[in-house]
Amino acid sequence: MTSKNSFWASCKENHKRRIWLWIVAVLSQLLPYGGITMIYLSRIKNYNANGIYRTAAEFQDALYQAAKDALGFSTDMCSIIALLAAIIGMQGFSYLYDRRKVDLYHSVPVTKTRRFAVIYSNGLFMYLTANLMGILFGLAAAASQRAVNASVLADVGLAFLWNLVMFLAFYHMMILAVMLTGNWFVTVCGFGVIALYEFVVYLLLGDLKEGFFRTFTSYFYSAEPKLSVFTDVSFNAQRLEKLPDLTAKAQLALPLIGKWVLIAAALLALAYAAYRKRPSEAAGKAIAFPVLEPVLKVAVVIPAALLVGTLVYATSSENEMLMVLAMAAAGVIFCCVVEVIYDFDIRSIFKHLVSSGVALAGILAIFCIFKWDIFGYDSYIPAQNKVESIAILTDGYYDSYSYWDENQRYVGADTYAKENMFLTDTEPVLALAQAYLQTDEAAVEKMTAPRTMRILYRLRSGREAVRAIVVDYEEPETEALLNRIFQAEAFKKGTFQVMTDETSYDRVTAISYTNGATIVAVPTEEIWRLREAWIKDMEQFDFTMARDELPCGRLNVEYDNYSQRQWCVYDGFENTIALLDEQEAYYPAQLDAKDIDSITVICYHNELTQDAEAALYHGDPGYALYRKAHAAETFATAKSVYEDYTVRETFYDEEQIAQILPHIHADYLNALWGNYKGMDQNYSVEVVFKKDTTYPYRRDSYYFSYDFIDGQVPDFVAEATAYTE
Amino acid sequence: MIEIHNVTKHFEKIKAVDEVSVNIREKTVFGLIGTNGAGKSTVLRMIAGILKPDEGTVAVDNMPVYDNVEAKKALFFIADEPYFFANTNAGTMERYYSGIYDAFDKEEYYRYLEKFNLDKNRKIGTFSKGMKKQLALLLGICARTKYILCDETFDGLDPVMRQGIKSIFAKEMEERGLTPVIASHNLRELEDICDHVGLLHKGGVLLSKDLEDMKCNIQKVQCVFSTVEDELKALNGLEILKKEQRGSLSTITLRSTREEVEARFATVDTIFYEVLPLSLEEIFISETEVVGYDIKKLILG
Repeated sequence: MTSKNSFWASCKENHKRRIWLWIVAVLSQLLPYGGITMIYLSRIKNYNANGIYRTAAEFQDALYQAAKDALGFSTDMCSIIALLAAIIGMQGFSYLYDRRKVDLYHSVPVTKTRRFAVIYSNGLFMYLTANLMGILFGLAAAASQRAVNASVLADVGLAFLWNLVMFLAFYHMMILAVMLTGNWFVTVCGFGVIALYEFVVYLLLGDLKEGFFRTFTSYFYSAEPKLSVFTDVSFNAQRLEKLPDLTAKAQLALPLIGKWVLIAAALLALAYAAYRKRPSEAAGKAIAFPVLEPVLKVAVVIPAALLVGTLVYATSSENEMLMVLAMAAAGVIFCCVVEVIYDFDIRSIFKHLVSSGVALAGILAIFCIFKWDIFGYDSYIPAQNKVESIAILTDGYYDSYSYWDENQRYVGADTYAKENMFLTDTEPVLALAQAYLQTDEAAVEKMTAPRTMRILYRLRSGREAVRAIVVDYEEPETEALLNRIFQAEAFKKGTFQVMTDETSYDRVTAISYTNGATIVAVPTEEIWRLREAWIKDMEQFDFTMARDELPCGRLNVEYDNYSQRQWCVYDGFENTIALLDEQEAYYPAQLDAKDIDSITVICYHNELTQDAEAALYHGDPGYALYRKAHAAETFATAKSVYEDYTVRETFYDEEQIAQILPHIHADYLNALWGNYKGMDQNYSVEVVFKKDTTYPYRRDSYYFSYDFIDGQVPDFVAEATAYTE
Repeated sequence: MIEIHNVTKHFEKIKAVDEVSVNIREKTVFGLIGTNGAGKSTVLRMIAGILKPDEGTVAVDNMPVYDNVEAKKALFFIADEPYFFANTNAGTMERYYSGIYDAFDKEEYYRYLEKFNLDKNRKIGTFSKGMKKQLALLLGICARTKYILCDETFDGLDPVMRQGIKSIFAKEMEERGLTPVIASHNLRELEDICDHVGLLHKGGVLLSKDLEDMKCNIQKVQCVFSTVEDELKALNGLEILKKEQRGSLSTITLRSTREEVEARFATVDTIFYEVLPLSLEEIFISETEVVGYDIKKLILG
């Protein structure tokens, strides 16, 4: 028998006063889980009735998947549960807003710990009951349609855990917000600040770095907040919804759940400590602890004003004066707003000028830090003995189409390099960083081939730093240093996924080789031999080769999830070419004039358009130019910008075709590799094969797109496509 | 006993209570009077353990009261605007309080409800202000705590109800030693209830005395002396608090016992003299005027 003043009796008593919330909680779980399960299953049955599924097994799989979709990970349920957590947290402790309620609850002989525990555990119990009711109802509905198996249960179980820990994090966040504030409006604002602060600060720092630091790059940049449950959920809930199997979901969800448990525990500890310390007289005030008022004001006003400043900076062609004015105005306005909220009195608008001054000084100080690079961000190069390893991304030399993770999901080139490139020979990279440290816009203008290189320094201390430099690919010393980097196995592993991906070849569904005009299938069982040959050939790969040579073909490797990877083949890749020859799949990149019916060359005459643009704009960018272009006196010039200067010429003569062929390269292959020299953008080339040729060109196309290699347009072609008025 | 020692409480920059020291003895009705803003509610809320003093101590039966369940078990606090749960009735409130106060007397509670014509099933939200105060008082009485703290609870109660509550207080004091502490801004409201009165002004205590002591030690005499010498002889050595003269009729307020005054006046030649009873109001006027305050401005308006 329990005492009538026991914990459970107190819980029961507390529940009686939260009946409306019980109704909201139960409905918020029962309707979505139950309703959506029934809708999804009914939809699958309709599909089946319409003959969408070919086999019973396919139909059964669709039912299981529908049950998972309805009861497993769901972005919508995450939103509902987060909202429910906030409502339960606020309602439970909202008595603290009302002096009359505080007088009652704080005068009766109940310890603060007991009261906190009762309200807290009741909120949690309410959620758990409602959530489990919803899930069980949904599972019952699914079971009645034979849509439940162990896999569905495991998926639902993992989602339940995810939602529970997420609920706890937001629940604790809201309780902390209630403890720090004295009325619902400020509590909601406080909850927003706690939930979003880190995310906003990261966003702001990214914007400021991008705006003011020459060496900033968003590649490798870990802008994700570390402690923000809000961003974790926002970024990952949808991914979890789409992941194909439970293992992949668990790999993504469990580390986050573990992190959230710690965050939730810390928030709860803070909330409880604040509850213990919270004075009863805080009821109805904006902030429960007066000492926090100036701190919160400064902490909120500074990032808010800086955000306004960065917005103005971005929309005013990077006008720093406007940015400063906008920040100052926003700072003053936000300070006034905060004071009005604190006192609920418009007359308090200019109260506490000291904290307002600190906030404005903070805004200005942060602006100065970025404007004048006080901490030397742009001049940072770590000492060689402090660098553990380096990863780099060089313009034009990463295979940006073809990185996939172990679950065959696309990943960015920087993510792949970050995980796979560990250059321990750091000297050439640091030498490049040193050589190009002072490269400003004027210096870049003078470069022959300026290209951006992003560097991820992994320091021995465990810290990471990312910088971008602009290097000149045509500069001999740079070429030597880049060759040293490109020759390193670590660079190749971090650039070509085929070097590191050793496990996924059993999922290959098709292999083909193309030289731009042909496409020939290679048996999939050859994948291991091909890989071995290609890796062997890549030993000769270096920067000079990447810069100066064009691939003669491309191997396409297709996977069971329709993802593709491409391996470039160069003329010097003897092992690969020999293997392709063996499979009768290899055709040289250069075509034979005997097989060609015609070549049409299109010259766009970009130089004329550029001249007209220059005359119109005088190098003055922006919206003003648009207005200028519409002014009467410049109308004629403006018209010339939009005039079509294109000249087309078709060559049928075999001799002329033979002269053109060595200087063109398949468009299909260019796009793949993206050699910095690239193709001559002023021309397009269309190659049409003879209908009676035996050359195995792809018959699905009438013509094939080629480009002139930069600077290799034959004179007779240039003359034939010259522009005349 | 409730011991308040050098207690100070600020609300931001406002000093609501300034070094207050008062002892509240058991089995007495303690009246805490003062103007609005004098700090009565703050003192009561500190006694109830709701507010934590910035300085000083508040102890109930030698136990510090703030966040101390054992000390709070001896207290029941009735706020100036008592809070009842939304959409609730007297029965629900009983169940809440009986879950908290182990000695809550349910039978007596329902008996009192009937006696005061309070429907236990009627929503409290529909009660009048006076009915809510009655209900709060009954809950407090039936919680059977040693101390009941009433903040402006008697203000606005009709005379019949006041009398009813008064008699319950008397009974409870008699039977189990209840100690009511009643705060009010109106001296007249407390006159017929309190045994001991503490006067608060601007956060500090102006005086704290037993009413009986005050009544016994202050006398008002109206008299006409035969000669000036008689007057001098009669008043010599007595502490005169106030003296008014209208023609030959003197009205004298002095600090002394009735017996001593009568004995003194019997020795001199007077044409007429009479020792008159003093109202609580008059006693306060006299006592506070001594310390330089005009009580009429402070309490009586």
